[in-house]
Amino acid sequence: MASEDKSKPAVLIVEDEPLIRMEAVDMIIDAGFKTYEAGSADRAIAMMELHDDIGILFTDIDMPGTMDGLKLAAYVRNRWPPVAIIIASGVVELERTSLPEGSAFFPKPYATSQITKTLHDIAVRLH
Amino acid sequence: MNDPQAVLPQKQKSALNLTMSVAILAPRGRDAEVARQLLDKENIASVVAPSIEKLTHYVQNQIGAVLVAEEALIGTEIEALQHSLQMQPPWSDVPFIVLANGTASSRSAAAKLRMDALRNAVLLSRPLHAEELVRAIRSALNARTRQYEARERMVKLEFREQQLYESEAKFHAIADSVDQMIWSTLPDGYHDYYNRRWYEFTGVPDGSTDGEAWNGMFHPDDQERAWSKWRHSLATGDPYEIEYRLKHRSGDYRWVLGRAQPVRSSTGEIIRWYGSCTDIHKIKIAEEQRQLMLAEMNHRVKNTLAMVHAIVSQTLRQADSLQDAQASIQSRIGMMAQAHDRLIQSTWTETKIDEVVEAALVPHRSGQGHFKVEGPDLPIGSKQALALTMALHELATNAAKYGALSIAAGKIHIYWDIIDQGENAVFEFNWVESKGPKVEQPSRRGFGSRMIEQALAGYFNGSAELSYKTEGLSFVLKSLSKGLTD
Repeated sequence: MASEDKSKPAVLIVEDEPLIRMEAVDMIIDAGFKTYEAGSADRAIAMMELHDDIGILFTDIDMPGTMDGLKLAAYVRNRWPPVAIIIASGVVELERTSLPEGSAFFPKPYATSQITKTLHDIAVRLH
Repeated sequence: MNDPQAVLPQKQKSALNLTMSVAILAPRGRDAEVARQLLDKENIASVVAPSIEKLTHYVQNQIGAVLVAEEALIGTEIEALQHSLQMQPPWSDVPFIVLANGTASSRSAAAKLRMDALRNAVLLSRPLHAEELVRAIRSALNARTRQYEARERMVKLEFREQQLYESEAKFHAIADSVDQMIWSTLPDGYHDYYNRRWYEFTGVPDGSTDGEAWNGMFHPDDQERAWSKWRHSLATGDPYEIEYRLKHRSGDYRWVLGRAQPVRSSTGEIIRWYGSCTDIHKIKIAEEQRQLMLAEMNHRVKNTLAMVHAIVSQTLRQADSLQDAQASIQSRIGMMAQAHDRLIQSTWTETKIDEVVEAALVPHRSGQGHFKVEGPDLPIGSKQALALTMALHELATNAAKYGALSIAAGKIHIYWDIIDQGENAVFEFNWVESKGPKVEQPSRRGFGSRMIEQALAGYFNGSAELSYKTEGLSFVLKSLSKGLTD
């Protein structure tokens, strides 16, 4: 595993399936980022409030609770504008207009290389 | 083709047809004979009645007209004649031509009465005048013909009325026996007919939905749409078809399919609309559920693929060799597939935890009495069942390689229960190894341990911990009891 790079933004991974979340965490740690994780939109917001080093939100769309991934992304964009957003989902029919502006979208299952590249591009941009 | 043999002489034909013949009753003198000859010359059929009795018989058999001498209208047989005349059907009025009794200049009261009793009689004076007689007879026969024609028309009318009545009865029998609701409107859309089924379905009083009141029976969200479709059909004659919710007598709304077709006159204008409503509620609900299920299935399949992706990826990360990786991947995915099969059998919803545990242990049982399994048969959700299966597989595989399953004396105690009741009820699952080889904390957390401590805990929304005690490895999973099935 690559060692954490403190100059890079931390990534918050939001995914309700524990196995898939675990895999996403591993993939992003391998890319050299510090990670936080949450299994629902509510927990994700709690994490955002707790840790101000989170610079990237990586979220699924289908989640339990009142907020799905799209609503969460809109909320985060509204409240913490500098945070970059990556949305990954298995949802088949998706209106591209419902994604926040400037966010990246990947259909599941996603290729690790593509995610890693996007993360690095974002890190460079936010630096 | 003209066959001369087929054409009967006019005289012969008429003689067979009483209805166009004249009966003659004039027994005295030569009047009867003279009259007969006169009529023959004019091609008018005639028949001589020898008595009043015979005349009465002719009257009963629809004779065309009667020529009678006044002096012959006496005697007791007159009563029978008079009675027959009274009993004529409403359309019939036998015309009489009476040869006046020339000897008397004024009639007695009785004689007048006898004449009146004939009902329809004209008087001719004697001696006979040929032209007077012939004209009178012709006139009488013409009038009689009109009577026959009127009767024909009436019979036809009565027949038509009967047919109409039967047709209506047939329509109602059919309309009320079919399973559909049937309704009908005037060309302007005014509803004036509903069959039995409509009233059975809606439970409303007869006639209460006539006119435009039908719209109130529709679900509020469907009323405007139905109205505009109906208006369009009325204006253009296009067939009407729409799915909407109709209020059932139980108070619930049910989906129905409404359809209607116009009926046109011979000149093409619409004279009526006939429509039906078919209850499609079950089909509609089934379709909605099917869509939901398809979406759900699609989602699950995608998630399953993502899980397989995670397993493969994780295993490759940790494996010492490609062979090692292959064996690990195969056994993990195999275990997942089996767990899936069991879930399909219990239709993706719930199974019991004791079944899950037993199934996961099957490949690891060797008959050597390693396992002691205790716990109530609690229901467990599909995701949790899958995660628990995989965790048990990891634990057992690990125990077979390094722990209690690697030596004959090794023991594994598996037990679970719900502690406390109500909102704070807690579910606890334990796996405790003993009498195995000495255990050491591993230097690296492999997929198995991460699966157990992180993923499994995540699925139960609780916490899990692996501890490497010197007696053996132990594992405990704790969560709120609702975490078993949520």
